[in-house]
Amino acid sequence: MNMLPEGAEERLLSNAKLIAKACEQSGVQQWDIVGFQSYGHELDIEAGKITMAGGGGEGGFGVRVVEDGTFGFAHLVDVSGAQRAVEQALRIARKSPSIDNFVLPSEQKAQRVGGMCDQNILNLGPDDLLEQADAILNAVKSADKRAIVTGGGVGVSATASCLLNSEGILESGLSTSHGIGVQVTIDNDGKMTSSYQGDSSRTRLVDVPDCVAHAVDWAVKTQNPIEVESGAKDAPVLMTSEGFSPLFSVVVPPAMMGQKLVRKESFWTGKMNQNVMSEDLSIHDNGLLEGGFSSGSRDSEGVPKRNQSLVESGRLVNMLWSTRDAAQQVAEGRIESANSTGSAVSRSHQSPPSTGASELTMTSSRGSRSFEQLLEQLDDGYVINGVMGAHTANPTSGDFSVTTSSILRVVDGEIVGPLKQAGLSGNLAKALSGNVVLGDDVRRQGSYSSGSMHLPDVLLMEGLRVNPA
Amino acid sequence: MVIAANQGEAHKPSSGRYLDQEKVRKALDSATTHGASYAEVRLVSFTQSSVAMRDGILERAIPGQELGLTLRILADGAWGVHSTTDIASLPDQIESTTRLAKAVASRRADGEKPIGLAEVPIFEDEQHWNSKLDVRNTELDTKMDLMNDFYRGASQHKHVVSVTTGWSDEHIHTELMTSEGMDRTWSFQRSLVHGMVTARDEGEVVSYRTRAGGQGGLELIKGVDLLELGEQAQTAALRLLKAERAPSGKMPLIADQDLTGVYIHEALGHPCEADLVAAGDSCLDGKLGQKIGNELVTVVDDPTLMGGYGAYPIDDEGVNTREKVLIKNGVLTEYLNHRETAHHFGLEPNGGARAQDGLHHPLVRMSNTMIQGGNHSDLDELMEDVEYGIYACGTRGGQVDTGRGSFQFAAQEAWLIEDGELTRPLKDVSVSGMTLEILKNVDGLTKEAELATPGFCGKGQTVPVGDGGPVMRIREALVG
Repeated sequence: MNMLPEGAEERLLSNAKLIAKACEQSGVQQWDIVGFQSYGHELDIEAGKITMAGGGGEGGFGVRVVEDGTFGFAHLVDVSGAQRAVEQALRIARKSPSIDNFVLPSEQKAQRVGGMCDQNILNLGPDDLLEQADAILNAVKSADKRAIVTGGGVGVSATASCLLNSEGILESGLSTSHGIGVQVTIDNDGKMTSSYQGDSSRTRLVDVPDCVAHAVDWAVKTQNPIEVESGAKDAPVLMTSEGFSPLFSVVVPPAMMGQKLVRKESFWTGKMNQNVMSEDLSIHDNGLLEGGFSSGSRDSEGVPKRNQSLVESGRLVNMLWSTRDAAQQVAEGRIESANSTGSAVSRSHQSPPSTGASELTMTSSRGSRSFEQLLEQLDDGYVINGVMGAHTANPTSGDFSVTTSSILRVVDGEIVGPLKQAGLSGNLAKALSGNVVLGDDVRRQGSYSSGSMHLPDVLLMEGLRVNPA
Repeated sequence: MVIAANQGEAHKPSSGRYLDQEKVRKALDSATTHGASYAEVRLVSFTQSSVAMRDGILERAIPGQELGLTLRILADGAWGVHSTTDIASLPDQIESTTRLAKAVASRRADGEKPIGLAEVPIFEDEQHWNSKLDVRNTELDTKMDLMNDFYRGASQHKHVVSVTTGWSDEHIHTELMTSEGMDRTWSFQRSLVHGMVTARDEGEVVSYRTRAGGQGGLELIKGVDLLELGEQAQTAALRLLKAERAPSGKMPLIADQDLTGVYIHEALGHPCEADLVAAGDSCLDGKLGQKIGNELVTVVDDPTLMGGYGAYPIDDEGVNTREKVLIKNGVLTEYLNHRETAHHFGLEPNGGARAQDGLHHPLVRMSNTMIQGGNHSDLDELMEDVEYGIYACGTRGGQVDTGRGSFQFAAQEAWLIEDGELTRPLKDVSVSGMTLEILKNVDGLTKEAELATPGFCGKGQTVPVGDGGPVMRIREALVG
């Protein structure tokens, strides 16, 4: 059995070449084409049972044309409409402003990145997923009889993708993914607690990944809330990787994008080569990470990806650029020189490339601590495993004000009980520039907006305000 | 598959239809032969256009057409689903999708209820909400001119560092055929303009976002004074530069129409979605007919509210739409349902099935959700009794945990209320609470209720929604 129909990659490429031919017939100076075709199976789980099994395939193409520094873009599903799409893109290009020296990248040698496709996933069929879902449901029941999976599911997919341009870049490949997510709810005499946890990988996951036990664990831990003194207080907060990543993904990656920095739309504007974070902290973007969800040989414009340091020992040392954004900001005089850092991303075939991060990792030169050591250092404060409203954080300022129902009170380094609900506010940029201690268990967290993140538990000693309900 | 060699021909609509009715009927019949109790094919064609400008200069314009189809089969009381961009492959998927449904059904535990569908009237018809000005005929220059009105209003100040404007329009064409004989085609359009002003003063940087639009064509955008909208956005951004951080704690909150809409969407609308209730993930489970809010509170969800961003003529199961009264004078009167949940709870389907596009299956969703107006004449009257509180305006979004019944929403800007007067501007105001507590704390509503800024709602799938209401006072809310 193979999830991917025979010849899927070749067929995708040959159809992309039909669009390329349409570009050439229209006399387009430069063009690039991205194509995706995904196939997969999925199961939905609700109310403690499998409620739906699904599958299918979807995909499409995006075509970008460049003429004298202008560009136009169109997307299509059906390649019989290629000529029309190219003409639409050309019409748009002719109304667009010209950017000096904006040309599409030419072929450069790129490093092969492994771990993107797992035959074990390709061999999975709906029956295998049904068995996995059964195993998850049983594991939840075994962990706590009252626990029910009220939402979530299991899914696998295989994607054929291709990228080609007029300058000789031609790349195609296959990737796979396997993901699970569970919302576990416990109803304790009408008082419900719940926790959502998930995991995903380019390689086949074990039938019951650790996230299932974590979901049950947090649904249990947050039962029977304790009374605490109301009123907002500044307090140290230990955020688990799962609790921290939504805020991090909204606030930090945009602050390191070249065009945001030079346009003064980042809270780190004017701080290149200055300390922006605690001196022991570094952030790297490893576009070559083996098996990464956002890594690969080339970015969405065909430029080779790289492993690059963005914040090194607390200092902002680099910024992310796509070819077009770099050319535009240089042409508009906001920066003397800038080049692509292999950081062009296309969220789907429906979007032209823009600048983004691939696989961000935050590390500390101070070494890392176990969860127990972090608790001890926290002493008097809170542990937070999830927040609501991270998307309402302000990426231009770093300010946020969110809510959590996944919060534990810590006194003298010991967890004393959960709170029913609390507000959490502060400025993430300021909090990260204070005393920050990282845990030793780095976990990958997905993000729709900013690639993947590899984050440990993070103890933020300063700059946060907790407001118990 | 999408890349089938003959797909171009196969997809061309004849007489305005993409689906070949005869072939689809045969496919649906074959599903029944294979043991399906119900089968449906829903095709959606999106003709889309988006434009982005920055500081009056075109950044990108993206035209596109997306076509997707979902086959849904109910067999032995369980669902099998197949979604694809390859319409021609449909007949090949019937047997395997039916088998999939049966495989799910075979895992049902003893005593567990099989999925069933509430009966609905069967229609063979077409409904097209034609826009006064078909947005598909709008030239890029026209869009840019309109977007530049916003830019002119919002720029021209030393502290404004950038103004971005966006345009998005779509023509949605849906065809639904079912094994029950339903054969419906409908279409409508949505148009939206959005803008963001970023202002900076030394180290302080803020941004303010706004949107206008709804269900309809170019006439909607032409009806908006975008210059004025830009001026208002600039004023708000400059005000935020000088705003103070909001105080934290429990205090009275007055929400403008925009924020009232988001509040009711998050705090009440989601827990009213019957698929969440059936899944055991709603704090409103078992509360139909019970008083859950102050008697001032009446809430409706209405997809027939033309012009609202969440309007649609027919739901994605082919059910006619209508206004749903979710709360009447504080009493929970109705859940939002699709056919499956209506059957589960023994209720009437009420047109609440929505799918993001042709590649997703329908879920229970909101449309245009509003609190109805009350007795207070205006904001001043609502503020009269407030010694110390917050007046919060505009939305930066919200989120809900439907099971716990806890929610959060954030305001774009706010003012401190002291002794019944607006005093200082505030920023970064977020409000949280528990649905079943805060609905009882609503103690004042102005008379005039209207849909506010168009928005989007995520629930695994993203759909456009309209929210709104009057200006609302909450006796006590957790701020910050």
